[in-house]
Amino acid sequence: MPYYRCVVPEGSVPFERRQEVAKAFTDIHCGSTGAPRSFVHVVFDEAPDARFAERYYVDGANRAGRPEELKQALLGDLRGAFASIIGVDEAEVGGRITEGPASWSMEGGMVLPEPGEETEEWYSHGAVAAAGG
Amino acid sequence: MAQVRYDCTMQEGQIGEDARARLADGLRDVTERVLGAGADVVSVDFSDIPQGFGFRGGEPSTTSLVRGSIVGGLEQPVRVELMSAICDMWMEISGCTVDELVVTARDA
Repeated sequence: MPYYRCVVPEGSVPFERRQEVAKAFTDIHCGSTGAPRSFVHVVFDEAPDARFAERYYVDGANRAGRPEELKQALLGDLRGAFASIIGVDEAEVGGRITEGPASWSMEGGMVLPEPGEETEEWYSHGAVAAAGG
Repeated sequence: MAQVRYDCTMQEGQIGEDARARLADGLRDVTERVLGAGADVVSVDFSDIPQGFGFRGGEPSTTSLVRGSIVGGLEQPVRVELMSAICDMWMEISGCTVDELVVTARDA
């Protein structure tokens, strides 16, 4: 976590743009929350999702517990970066961030800490993971 | 209806069909051992993220995601025991490292 699923039309986004979006999302998320880079997951899904009206959709899942204004600012930055990199109007890019308790997730063999309760060990583990996958 | 459901998402080409069958059996075994839930109430689904469509830290990902959903919910110590057991089992069968696996166990 975080896990960002980008729903896109089939064949609409080449690999280079996908990776550019993934890097931008990682920069934005880590800049906003301080999370280790290796914890940011971005996937692209070309299967239509009838739940979303927009052609492009950023469907994020984050740890619960951050202020609403931070969450909305984060989503706005993600949608803006996505639209800019893909080359579409931001109005074509929908998005949401759903949240779940950190304690429901284990990553790198460790239960995720609640936002604001991260330890040095957690950050150092993230740095190791960044080098390994 | 399954009381415990696992949706497993992997990077394409990383885990073969034989290993998937063993992983599915492993998930059922772990669930029975930790939760006491029989195999008949556990469902396991696998899906692949195509190569070049999954990223971690901005780079192509080798990470698998096991998303568990448990009807009725769990006490946190049991949840941690379940997630830890899944991690150990998954690493042993797939050969992945601890940094290539995310496990969640949410209340449904």
